[in-house]
Amino acid sequence: MRCRYAFIAVSIALLVSIADAQTPRPDLSGVWGPYRGGRGGDPKLAAVPAGQPVLKPQYAKDFEARRAAEAAATQRGEPVATNGTLCVPYGVPTMMSVASYPVEFIQTPKQITIVTEAFGEVRRIYMDKPQQKIDDVPPGYYGRSVGRWEGDTLIVDTVGIKEAVQYQRIPHSDQMRITERIRLAAPNVLHDQITIEDPVVLEKPITYTLAYSRMPDYEMVEFVCDNNREYVDANGVVRMRTRGK
Amino acid sequence: MRTSTGWRISAATVFLMTLWLGSGTLVAHHSFAMFDTAKPISLTGTVTAFEWTNPHAYIEIDVSEPGGGMKHWSIEMGSPSILQQSGWKFRDLKFGDKVTVSLSPLRNGDPGGLLIQATLPDGRVLGNGPGRGPATPTRGAAPAANK
Repeated sequence: MRCRYAFIAVSIALLVSIADAQTPRPDLSGVWGPYRGGRGGDPKLAAVPAGQPVLKPQYAKDFEARRAAEAAATQRGEPVATNGTLCVPYGVPTMMSVASYPVEFIQTPKQITIVTEAFGEVRRIYMDKPQQKIDDVPPGYYGRSVGRWEGDTLIVDTVGIKEAVQYQRIPHSDQMRITERIRLAAPNVLHDQITIEDPVVLEKPITYTLAYSRMPDYEMVEFVCDNNREYVDANGVVRMRTRGK
Repeated sequence: MRTSTGWRISAATVFLMTLWLGSGTLVAHHSFAMFDTAKPISLTGTVTAFEWTNPHAYIEIDVSEPGGGMKHWSIEMGSPSILQQSGWKFRDLKFGDKVTVSLSPLRNGDPGGLLIQATLPDGRVLGNGPGRGPATPTRGAAPAANK
């Protein structure tokens, strides 16, 4: 009897895995720009912004105070610098949505590469490879990403993002983990649902969904930041250098 | 010749710019709060350089001062990627061209600002990328009186 159950269980597992392997993998290759849900687009396919982040109490107070100070500085016309101001790359996950700049997916069975137009950032997603322990990944802008297909959805796991690389200036620890569920929501609409978990800093995960439209004939524009006239003064305020006096 | 705030941007333009500048979910190279979007000015001058570069393109112009003399202005634009979406090409301006620009000036009084739109020597009026200033003369009430 037990033997029969085991046989059935193994058969089902086998069938599921065969079915999964036979699910045609969508081809994500190509250039994708932000989906304009509000302008004649389908609101059901539009991006879903993150709600207010909920930080652990010991981080929340500082975070709220800093946000208020930054908002006040912007109100005064003295915005505080961000990494981008100094042409420092955005890293994961911010690089996936920078203003209206597109991103390009290059898909092969073993690796999916994402190249952004803004700052020409590159991230590599290694397919069907085990993830390393967080503590073994040197902290950087892109960390280490591994991917696998779950039916028609690409699941990407990223660890090893350095603490200075923040999403919307929300602090995080070296224990942060980012999970993305990337799928075609429609033939020419791509969704990337991003979940940020951090057991040290976040009380609950941050989740948001980016939506992209396919840009079939678009040729990516180069973006080398060699004429940055914005600088940060002694008070941390962004200024623009002018050539006249 | 410098002309000051002799025109007004339309409500639609203000609305579009507010949408673009105020959108919290967007990330841009930097905040635009250092520019005074509420006090646009218009300048007519001679191009000394048109720099099609990242993270921003720039128009450099010499503008005659009312009391004589010349003042040099640096006008920040979007990036080439953003600009090409509103019809700009890298050769659209060159040394010596006469151009009329409207801009949101720097709040600190330095001679610089963020482009709203430019009237090119051939009469075309170009904005500063989608959602960043008017892309068509009708929308932005172009300072045609200066031509």
